[in-house]
Amino acid sequence: MSETRPIILVEDDARDLELTLAVLERYSLHNPIIVARDGVEALDCVYRRNAFASRAPMDPAVMLLDLKLPKLNGLDVMRILKSDHAKRHIPIVMLSASGEASDISESYRMGGNAYVVKPLDFQDFSRMIHDFSDFWIVHNRASGG
Amino acid sequence: MIGPDATANDLCAREPIHQPGFIQPHGALLVLDRNSLEIVQASANATAFFGYELGRGKQADVFFSENIPLSSRLRDWLAGGELFYRDLVFLADHRFHVSGHATAQGILLEFEVALAEPPRSGGLHHRLHRLLDVIEPLDNITHIAEAAAAEVATLCGFDRVMTYRFAEDGSGVVLAEVSADGERRYFDLRFPASDIPAQARRLYVANRLRLITDVDYRPVPLDPPLSPLDGRELDMSLGALRSVSPVHLEYLRNMGVRASMSVSLVIDGELWGLIACHHDEPRMISPRVRAACEMTGRVVAQRIGVRLRMAEAAERLALSRTGTRLLTYLARSETLDGALGHSPEAWLHIAGAGGCAVLLQGAVQSWGETPPREEVAILGQWLRARPVDTVYETDCLSAAFPSAAAYSGHASGLLAISISQLHASYIMWFRPEVERTLRWAGEPSKSVEGGGEIPPTLHPRHSFAEWRQKVAQRSAPWRTAEIESAREFRHAVIGLVLRQAETRAGMAAALERTNAELESFSYSVSHDLRAPFRHIIGFAELLGQREGKLDATSRRYLDTITDSALAAGHLVDDLLSFSRLGRAQLAVSPIDMGKLVREVLRSLEGALKGRDINMEIGDLPPTFGDAALLRQALLNLIDNAVKYSRGRSPAHILIDGKTVEGRAIYRVVDNGAGFDMSYAGKLFGVFQRLHGAEQFEGTGIGLALTKRIIERHGGKISAAARPDEGATFTFELPAGALGNAA
Repeated sequence: MSETRPIILVEDDARDLELTLAVLERYSLHNPIIVARDGVEALDCVYRRNAFASRAPMDPAVMLLDLKLPKLNGLDVMRILKSDHAKRHIPIVMLSASGEASDISESYRMGGNAYVVKPLDFQDFSRMIHDFSDFWIVHNRASGG
Repeated sequence: MIGPDATANDLCAREPIHQPGFIQPHGALLVLDRNSLEIVQASANATAFFGYELGRGKQADVFFSENIPLSSRLRDWLAGGELFYRDLVFLADHRFHVSGHATAQGILLEFEVALAEPPRSGGLHHRLHRLLDVIEPLDNITHIAEAAAAEVATLCGFDRVMTYRFAEDGSGVVLAEVSADGERRYFDLRFPASDIPAQARRLYVANRLRLITDVDYRPVPLDPPLSPLDGRELDMSLGALRSVSPVHLEYLRNMGVRASMSVSLVIDGELWGLIACHHDEPRMISPRVRAACEMTGRVVAQRIGVRLRMAEAAERLALSRTGTRLLTYLARSETLDGALGHSPEAWLHIAGAGGCAVLLQGAVQSWGETPPREEVAILGQWLRARPVDTVYETDCLSAAFPSAAAYSGHASGLLAISISQLHASYIMWFRPEVERTLRWAGEPSKSVEGGGEIPPTLHPRHSFAEWRQKVAQRSAPWRTAEIESAREFRHAVIGLVLRQAETRAGMAAALERTNAELESFSYSVSHDLRAPFRHIIGFAELLGQREGKLDATSRRYLDTITDSALAAGHLVDDLLSFSRLGRAQLAVSPIDMGKLVREVLRSLEGALKGRDINMEIGDLPPTFGDAALLRQALLNLIDNAVKYSRGRSPAHILIDGKTVEGRAIYRVVDNGAGFDMSYAGKLFGVFQRLHGAEQFEGTGIGLALTKRIIERHGGKISAAARPDEGATFTFELPAGALGNAA
């Protein structure tokens, strides 16, 4: 079953989206990838509302969440999910351009599972995406419930 | 303290000398009802004096002035509103000078026998004119005093005439003395304040001339003794015949004086001095001559007043010039003590002081001769505990504050201005002790004698022979101009302190805004500027993967795109770290420098790979600081050493440290490319590079960041180098001062 659990990628920047998708494809993960372009879509996707109403009734294996997003920002999305008893188990990896200590600590304080400052070097970036996805999807599936 | 037994003094000061109930016998007094002009009170000698029965219930219309009844003249005078009535009247064949003034107790008429006086050459008018000519050009107070004494001596013919000046403590000193025998018996001697009690001083201001024709006179009582109008003693403050205190008569007799006359010198309503005349025999002075003497006193006092004011104005001007100069320093300085340090001699001059101290919120700065700084702070607390005073001055500090006796040599005089309403903050000027010998006219003491006698009788001293007194723990007195200038200065200083505080507050607010803007700027840079570089690098990589068989040139182009974007991205990252450092709080903890250096070297493994480096780690004493920041600083320095020694094989890098007086000093030394010391000033600036980017890569921020880290710790960093002979970077962290560095 776990193979079919989706990865939700929340990213508003088209270029970042394309690069991240390229990385995820390169590792040929079997998990389907669902893309949300802002904070509201991210929540719609998790709760299967609106455009995402018809997706399979399955919580994602991991959510890769950008910090700065239109409508609701990444921290808002995380706060809502982590305060929902039914959804707080969904692992959230923050992907952010910000290395500000306040952003990082706030993210962990709210229950974020990892925080990645998007590295400049693409190879570093792909290695990180791979490592985190691998960790949360393959090795840590038990905790995912 | 100077002065006699206080009890005796008090007794003397309580004596109601303005209403003695007696007159001197050289004249007669009639008191008339203001309306009926009927006599209500008369001196007991009236009938004998006038040769005519006059007394209570009689009318005063037996006197005529130029054939007009006195009563008629008096009514005209009363209607005219003049203070004094003066006239020459006849009763039968006798001529009398009459002087009258009205009080609530009636019209007091004082009569003296009018003697035929020899006409004086030129008359009073001429004499005054000449006196003015004499004193006009004199600017020395003592010279004016001498001229005054000489003039009065000529006018009244007394044996001895002295001009006497009161000091601020009420004692008087003889400035000038003219005597028939040429002997100056009292010149420069001092008379204690108690010689002329307070109520006598007030009388001297109200009534500018007093004559005692014979100290052995028999006082003449009034009949009835109390005023029938109000049942009280008759107030004779403005009278000329008023009988004087028996203590005063005894005082004069002890001095060997038979007749005495005093002319008041009043300046601005204050008794400045007296012209005192003594005669060895009884002596009568006519009202006309007395008027001339009184006028002389007024002219002289007026002249002295002008001179004093001119001298004070000149002094004030000089002080104000210095004050202006000091205010300029103040305006240019950031701190008050900075301004004082700039020109201490001017600060001392402004108050004519030997030392000056500033106590500002507990911190003491001092210049010149002052008490020790901790004593200045204690003095500040003492001043603060006193009732609210903006200016405090004393020429005998130890009298008010006994512990000041310990440093009375430097600071017997204190002039202090308060410069804060919130704190014990003062500017204090100090004057050294001036040991003086005061020459008194007799040991100043009065005594209460007659053991058990009620009321006790007061007796003045018997001897007026010079008595020397040594005065210690006393400075030269502060002059009014100096005190006033300190007061004016206080306003300026407070104004400046407030203005500076306002400016600082304004700057702090502006700085805060700038910081906030910078923070939001940094944040958007991190997000927006960095992203395009990541994209360039990412897509270049994807392109390279997609086109597996690129020729060498295309591959080089693609690598160059990646390298350039990487370099630009690192630059953004470094700039962000640099700006973040300004805002971040330091997390201070004990630091094991040896361990930190080993960690840094491990993280540099990549750069060290394939290099022939002789790495020498010396003694590295522990210190305190922010571990993450110090790691960053060390990383930058060691990374530089590795980088710039690239051309050496083997390269030599030394990292060591030592402790000097608690400060930890560390070095990173390499034998690399070095640099020309003439560029050393640019070394730690942002974007300053001393080598071409082609030769040694880098963003040009590393050393600026390192310097900022060390300075945030309260330390300092420096570099020494020679081209091609390597460089030495030394940084120093303060001892234990880091507790409050955050």
